[in-house]
Amino acid sequence: MSERNTPAFSEPPELDVYGRERVDPPPVPPEFAAEDDVNDQNYVPAPCQVACPIGTDAPSYIAYIWEGKIEEAFEAITATNPFSSVCGRVCDAPCEPACRRTESDGPIAIRNLKRFVMDRLGKDHRLPPVPVTKEQTVGIVGGGPAGLTAAQGLAEAGYAVDVYELTEMLGGYMTWGIPAFRCPPEIFKEDIDRMLARCPGITINLNTGLGRDITLEKLKERHDAVLLTIGAWWGKGLELANAGYDDRVIDGVTFLRHVNGGTRPELPQKVIVVGAGDVAMDACRVAKRLPGCEDVKVLYRRGPNEIPARRDELEGALEEGVELIYNVQPVAVVGTNGSNGSFALRCVTTELTKPGDDGRRWPASIAGSEHDYDCGMVILATGQRSECEELDSLGMLANDKVHTDWDSMRTTDPKVFSAGDAAFGPSTIVMAMQHGHRAAYYIKAFLEGVEGPLPYRVPFKTRRVPIADDPDWEIFPREHQDFRGLGEQPVEFPEIETTYDEDAARREAARCYRCDAETGAADYNVHTREDIFVMARTKPENATKQRAIFTKRLALRGDPFAEKPATLEDLVFLPANLSRLVIDPYRDACNVTTSLGSRLELGSPFMAAGFDSTPSEVREAVAHALRTQNLGYLGHRSIGDGVHWLQVIVPGEGEPSPDAAAVIATAPTGLERAHADQLLGLTARSDQLRERIPLALQAELDLMVLEGSSQVIDPWPELAGPPDLTVLRDAIALLRELNHEEDLQLVYFGGVRSGTDGAKLIGLGANTVVASMAIALAIGGTIENGGVRFYGNIEAAERDEAAELFLKALAYEASIMPRCTGKTDIHNIEPEDLRSITVATAEATGLPLAGARASR
Amino acid sequence: MATLDLAELSVREANERLREYGAAGEDVEVVNPDARHHIGVGLVHPITVHIKGSAGYFCAGLTDGPRFEVDANVGWGLADNMLGGSVVVRGNASAIPGVAVRGAEVVVQGNIGSRAAQVMKEGTLCAGGNANFMAGYMMYGGRLIICGDSGEHLGQDMTGGTIYVGGRVQSLGTDAEPVDLPLEELDEVMSFLERYEVPFNGGTFTKVVNAGKHLRYPRLERRVRVVPFFVASEPTDYWNEKVQEDISVKAQIGRYRIRGYGAGRPLPHLSDVVFKRDLHTIPPDPEVVSKISLATELGGRFGAKPLDLSMPVMIAPMSFGALSKSTKIALAKASALSDIADGTGEGGLIPEVREAAKRIVVQCLGGRLGWNIHDMQRADGIEIYISQGAKPGLGGQLMAKKVTKEIATIRGIPAGIDLRSPSRHPDVLGADDLVIKVEEFREATGWRKPVSVKLGAGRVPDDIKIAYKDGFDYVCLDGVQGSTGAASSEVLEFVGIPTLSAIIEAIDALESIGAVCMPLVLMGGIKDGIDTAKAIALGAHGVALGTSAIIAGGCIACLQCHVGSCVVGIATQDPEHEKRYNIDVESWNIHRYLESVRWQLASIVHAHGYERVHELSRDDLVALTPEAAEITRLEYAPELRDERGQPLQLAAAS
Repeated sequence: MSERNTPAFSEPPELDVYGRERVDPPPVPPEFAAEDDVNDQNYVPAPCQVACPIGTDAPSYIAYIWEGKIEEAFEAITATNPFSSVCGRVCDAPCEPACRRTESDGPIAIRNLKRFVMDRLGKDHRLPPVPVTKEQTVGIVGGGPAGLTAAQGLAEAGYAVDVYELTEMLGGYMTWGIPAFRCPPEIFKEDIDRMLARCPGITINLNTGLGRDITLEKLKERHDAVLLTIGAWWGKGLELANAGYDDRVIDGVTFLRHVNGGTRPELPQKVIVVGAGDVAMDACRVAKRLPGCEDVKVLYRRGPNEIPARRDELEGALEEGVELIYNVQPVAVVGTNGSNGSFALRCVTTELTKPGDDGRRWPASIAGSEHDYDCGMVILATGQRSECEELDSLGMLANDKVHTDWDSMRTTDPKVFSAGDAAFGPSTIVMAMQHGHRAAYYIKAFLEGVEGPLPYRVPFKTRRVPIADDPDWEIFPREHQDFRGLGEQPVEFPEIETTYDEDAARREAARCYRCDAETGAADYNVHTREDIFVMARTKPENATKQRAIFTKRLALRGDPFAEKPATLEDLVFLPANLSRLVIDPYRDACNVTTSLGSRLELGSPFMAAGFDSTPSEVREAVAHALRTQNLGYLGHRSIGDGVHWLQVIVPGEGEPSPDAAAVIATAPTGLERAHADQLLGLTARSDQLRERIPLALQAELDLMVLEGSSQVIDPWPELAGPPDLTVLRDAIALLRELNHEEDLQLVYFGGVRSGTDGAKLIGLGANTVVASMAIALAIGGTIENGGVRFYGNIEAAERDEAAELFLKALAYEASIMPRCTGKTDIHNIEPEDLRSITVATAEATGLPLAGARASR
Repeated sequence: MATLDLAELSVREANERLREYGAAGEDVEVVNPDARHHIGVGLVHPITVHIKGSAGYFCAGLTDGPRFEVDANVGWGLADNMLGGSVVVRGNASAIPGVAVRGAEVVVQGNIGSRAAQVMKEGTLCAGGNANFMAGYMMYGGRLIICGDSGEHLGQDMTGGTIYVGGRVQSLGTDAEPVDLPLEELDEVMSFLERYEVPFNGGTFTKVVNAGKHLRYPRLERRVRVVPFFVASEPTDYWNEKVQEDISVKAQIGRYRIRGYGAGRPLPHLSDVVFKRDLHTIPPDPEVVSKISLATELGGRFGAKPLDLSMPVMIAPMSFGALSKSTKIALAKASALSDIADGTGEGGLIPEVREAAKRIVVQCLGGRLGWNIHDMQRADGIEIYISQGAKPGLGGQLMAKKVTKEIATIRGIPAGIDLRSPSRHPDVLGADDLVIKVEEFREATGWRKPVSVKLGAGRVPDDIKIAYKDGFDYVCLDGVQGSTGAASSEVLEFVGIPTLSAIIEAIDALESIGAVCMPLVLMGGIKDGIDTAKAIALGAHGVALGTSAIIAGGCIACLQCHVGSCVVGIATQDPEHEKRYNIDVESWNIHRYLESVRWQLASIVHAHGYERVHELSRDDLVALTPEAAEITRLEYAPELRDERGQPLQLAAAS
């Protein structure tokens, strides 16, 4: 192997899900800007997404599954993953150990949820083809996941791509190495067909070996750039002293390649597999299924905690009857006395050294511990390497790999790039795909003449899918995936696992924490929460990372109130503490009954309006609730018997009804009562106060309906937005100015959403508040096209109950607020009990900003 | 028998001597008691103390084991929280005799004042004469025997325990009802009376117990995963999804909603002030922590042993109950690893937490749940809770799912109720009472432990002056951003003032009475070392971290703390969920988080050229929003926002 001309190239970094990049993400190249959302204020890529080498937006596809939106889930899955169907079955799924739920009750089954989607849509779902638009072409040597991912990326960018594949089928080590019981051949085909349908610019040249059928020189002539993704499927590693048993000692990749080529060789009764990586797991499970083989042992030189294979594979092997033997190191193959050609694998026992500087513990042989395992075959799955005579002769190999610079994916030849196992050593399918994306990016930059392109970074996109609203999300355990093991005909390699049915998939999807999504707390929003998670996972002495966190935390938040109008939510109550006796809001009573005009006694300071033209079922429900709560209704017409009716009259369009408890005119003309016991009132908007208040006082009206939303008699005026709070401030100021503060009761209409809103308005000076939109929503109204619609999907009794409970809730909630301020009657709330928290609200209400000098 | 003469000794001296006699097992006679307060407070040995005259407030309070005999009358709070032993008073007792008693036998041969046996857990309170109004108020357990008549609202809001009235019952009170009295139970009552020589001539007793109608919220709130609140602040969408969800849930339950965490929407906050110095440009210094003195002392104003913290940071008090035991232990361990202090919150001090924490502050709340003299004596600091930022004016809520047998036992209450803790202390109705309460705590611990107060920010200028005058060592001041395990969402959002407003008002108030010597510990939405530095620059002596410490320990901020099925095993008492929490892993996560806070704090101090953290001052800060400028009166410098780079971009509405 040549070691000539090997410049010091950079190596791939180790991934840390809570690493510095989480608080200090490098810029994403502009071409990925649309696919990258790390600067979104309400999004941080979830640990699963960060752990995925291709940044799969798992939280979104999981949430889509819960919503039943399978096509959308498919889009999210396949956006960066051309081998989604394969990955649904055999991805190494680094997302799962990164899943935050792992530490609780097991990770979300992200991989199997992917399979759930791909089993439904993977075969037939097609995206529109992308045409070739560029003149330059790229040659890719090797049709594995890295090469094909790069091919797709380049083809999608408009380049024509030729893929040169050594064998007679595409897929590389995936198809030649992964046994069919883990992933049937048609699944590989499914992904490849989808890709080729999408990318007509990809030309496939099978049975074309580099150096055998075509030279690198020729490829460089033919194409503007060449990508080498030749894989690493030649075994390496252990060299055993062996006494002429070469034919019985085989490397794992070769063994798997034979079997995946379609052979089902008869094996000896006892087979030993050396190594405990994924190749070893596949090899031992394949052996277990082949005719003749009864006993499979896997020997591993470290302990169970160090095992490199994915846990699922290990458990699968054990469940299928494979035996794992730890802390043994083979040293030689030795003959035994048997005449049937049997032999033994001689091993020594090992023990792990103390962790070295890299934290790894090495196995050390224990002297004198030699022992033998009888067997008929040894499969060495202890390592893989790349091999290519042509490249070797060109000096492009180093350390069994194509010598490649991680930062540019370039080889020593400026026109030639490399990626995948060939470039950086054996890894996973999903890592190979990341390499493919990287290579495509750097090749494009090269073809477009971009000098020193921004370093590639995996883009992290969110599709902003709402969180699955399943109340049992905290409780659902991880959904079990049925494991079939060897099956009835092991030699036929039936699939070992099934995916979920729809219900199980939804339950599993509901379990997702949604680490990517915004929280419900502004202070502990998703960015802050994730920063704290990083702080909690950073060593105090790691000054560089501490510094990066610090810088992120220094980021200024925008002014949350810059554009915000005055609203009721920006008022707060001052609680009783030491300076005012605390009463017990859970136990001590608070009066909420309300007198209007000294003649009308209401159960609470709330009234309803706005249901004059709603369906009769709706009116009946509102009437029922108002009746039981002893409240009033403002409207052109009475809402029902037994409800205090405040009749709203547009002067000239109606007569005072003798049945009404009050008459409210919308204009100051012809103010009259039907009888002496009736209350009389007038509506007023902000701009009408100066005219109408003196007039109301002069006419000795009982009340004034202040229209924060205008007008009370129109359909749903509250939909226009936050109500005008100045009308209350100005009405009080005017009354005070005229020295008649106590002589006119104020009823406020506009934007009341809760009992708390009501209590605040009473604190501001209203005697009674009118709710409309909120009641409509409480009884099932939906906001549509600037109005409210009611559907007949609610039973009358249910609607009655909802209306009644909501009015109760308004009164109860409203009563909690005075209690918190130490008061036992809602009408004792004073402006002094309230503060504003924004300048706009302080201005609109006249209530000082909490903490400012004026508030004291 | 030893004699202590209160004509010659102060109560403080007398109590010190009493403890010595107690340890030696010698009985004591107290002469010339002169109705002085706190006689015998803090005694934990089974000696007899004979008080030859009248005693004042809290006679025999915070004790376990002694036998007190009082020849004449007693003031209020007789036998406060007495765990074991007995008290016999020959004369009358003032209000709240037997308050929070948990095991002792307390006999008053004359009449007893109002609210007798309030929040009693266990043991017996017996009056030979009549009881004033609301005897048995909020009783959780134990036995109240009234030989004469009872006033109105007997058994008001009792959740457990039994009341026996020999005379007339004026009125029963909320959720109390008379039930049959079995003969054997009558016999037990009569034998108690006989044992303490309480005459009873009136035939039989009326037995009154809780009627069970208010122990649970009548309708369960539909569980939903939270819609981010701050969409509710979008001006364009007044009736947004969150508002609609609230309305629809309230239409199902007829009351306010309940959730965990604090105020959800953006409020004026420490984020809206910024250091003048551009901290982005300071050179990284790996040794910065060792160059800066962050050490902070709290609580030595009156001669107690102060909390000597390695930095001006504490773990905010959070209850065992709201949090799982594992979480409490992890927080305690982390506080020890970072050499700061932890707090119990409501609900008592569990041994594992005491063991894990280097410094622990025990908190006393109105319900006196889990409160006892032994924990006070084991603690490093004592805190009276008046209120908290999340729900000032309201007591804690612990939903039935979390009131397990274990929690109920440590708190001394019935299991499986929706526990709504009392909002005020039985024995603190105003500032004057509080002075005496503070004294009681000091007496109980020989004036050796700092006594602090926790206040939710409301009428801060008045409250803080009272706290100063009541003689606290320091005040923990909690803004409306402070979190909780369960409260009405309306109260979470709309009662109390922002943390930023609170610190400004508090400092101004203390300055106005020349009282800046009283340290303030600020809490409520403090997230990192930068917030901490700003709080200190504005005048806080330290900060307490609650929610952020919980998040460092694995909380995912789903706001469902009240449900009790916490997905990560933090806010739960369900063993199946609690086992998801790994104490070792999370205590180290919290510790590393605290160390990152330390790093940030030290870097800021260093960047200013200071050597000690308390050199930071408001002169180092400017305001970025009109609100912050008006609240803090700092220079308004919005241009800094542009100079220091734009905030993260707000994405298009999802």
